[in-house]
Amino acid sequence: MRLLTVAEMALRELSRRRGVILLLLALPFVCYVVRHDQVGQSIRFVLLGLAWAVSTAALFAGGTSRQIEPRLRLSGYRSHHLYLGRLFAMWVLGLAVAAPFFALIAFDRGGQVRLGAVAAAMVLAVAVAAPFGLLIGAVVPRELEGTLILLVTISLQMMIDPADSITRLTPFWSSREIGTYAIDHTGTEYLVRGLTHGILATLLATVLVAVLSTIRLRTRPHLRYASR
Amino acid sequence: MTERGMSDQRWLHALGQELARHRFTPDVTHHVVAEAAAHLRDSGQPALRAFGTPEGYAAAVAESLASQRRQPRRPRGRVRLRASQITKRYGRRTVLKPTDLTVHAGEVAAVVGANGCGKSTFLRICAGLLSPDSGEVLVDGLLGYCPQEGGTYDFLLPEEHFVLVGAGRGFDRGRSRQLGRGGAATLHWDAAGDVQARHLSGGTRQKLNLVMATLGDPDVLLLDEPYQGFDRGTYLDFWQHVWRWRDEGRAIVVVTHLLNQLDQVDHVLDLTPGAREVAA
Repeated sequence: MRLLTVAEMALRELSRRRGVILLLLALPFVCYVVRHDQVGQSIRFVLLGLAWAVSTAALFAGGTSRQIEPRLRLSGYRSHHLYLGRLFAMWVLGLAVAAPFFALIAFDRGGQVRLGAVAAAMVLAVAVAAPFGLLIGAVVPRELEGTLILLVTISLQMMIDPADSITRLTPFWSSREIGTYAIDHTGTEYLVRGLTHGILATLLATVLVAVLSTIRLRTRPHLRYASR
Repeated sequence: MTERGMSDQRWLHALGQELARHRFTPDVTHHVVAEAAAHLRDSGQPALRAFGTPEGYAAAVAESLASQRRQPRRPRGRVRLRASQITKRYGRRTVLKPTDLTVHAGEVAAVVGANGCGKSTFLRICAGLLSPDSGEVLVDGLLGYCPQEGGTYDFLLPEEHFVLVGAGRGFDRGRSRQLGRGGAATLHWDAAGDVQARHLSGGTRQKLNLVMATLGDPDVLLLDEPYQGFDRGTYLDFWQHVWRWRDEGRAIVVVTHLLNQLDQVDHVLDLTPGAREVAA
């Protein structure tokens, strides 16, 4: 109940930022349009744009809540209500942003790609991006620095040689792998590797967010309650 | 001096004359004028908007002090908050030297001192939001905390804030809204509108902050200058609420630099360096 209330309020707050919603949609759209002449690149870029948009939204949502969460802790919330509620909201928002792009790709490239795999790549992009943005916000409280870190991450992801093994250390590698499976009709090993990487990256980022949030919002040991 | 500064100075001078007409002693007059000046400096508001006319404000102060002195006091209850030997340093700068404060149920403590002397830091330590370098805090009961600023979501409605805090307290939505609206009404504010927090005035936003802190009737209230931006009437009403909460048996700690209520509170913790005093 408390978790859902946090998620609901986070979504309400985000949904009223109309400019932000438009920009969230514009980012993947621009990525798609710029590379529209190439099927593979346009879809890979829309996945990266989606990941970028959702992680940035999560970064700022985390920053907005940073001042308020301590008082919510005092109001009776546990740490996990707060970070999981926000994470849930970011996932819902990300899927809502992803849906029109899936429809666009299905309409525009439906006969050329594996649509199920495109959907999986989008879901994983959103799944990783939400905790990753919250994680950057937890590690770097200042939003400008956090935004720049996200920019470096996404730029690295875009520019790095796909054959380089270091690409597996980048957070959104799963989208590229599943994208390759969907676009180039490769074997299922790409799909399996992508799914595994995406799930692990999501879990790792979520666990790190949980640890950092729990530390930040912990009940300080100097404070004792006489009767509770 | 700016034209605005000159205007405020004239207003403060007129207030001093009015207070003298009400037969306040020079000490009390000096304190009230000083606290008004501090409020004007901190809030950035012109004096007329913040306090109304000097005549009206002096009359309100006189009435407020007279009515408070008439209030019967209930005997104090058990210890609700005990802060012992709290110290805090930021780098090489000592913000809090060993500091103690004990507040019983039915008592009000005021934390006073110059800017930067650690008032908010002390309150955040009492709320468990900040770790001290040494010392401990014992709280008996539910804690409510009102920060000096922030503490609200720009794009949420007041009622959504009530629902959010109420859910933490274990209330359903209807009850949360009811309690929030009730709390807002006591501060002469209709919180039922669909105005997002970012569009509220500074004073109204502080009312929202205060209602959130008091939702669920906490036993211990920690209030960090919650009246920033309040107009004169609301400011005086706020203190009436403080006395009411005290009489209901709550323990209240108020960070303040407005000194005219100090003869009404039970404890004054002066954090000004060299003036660590707890007086009844």
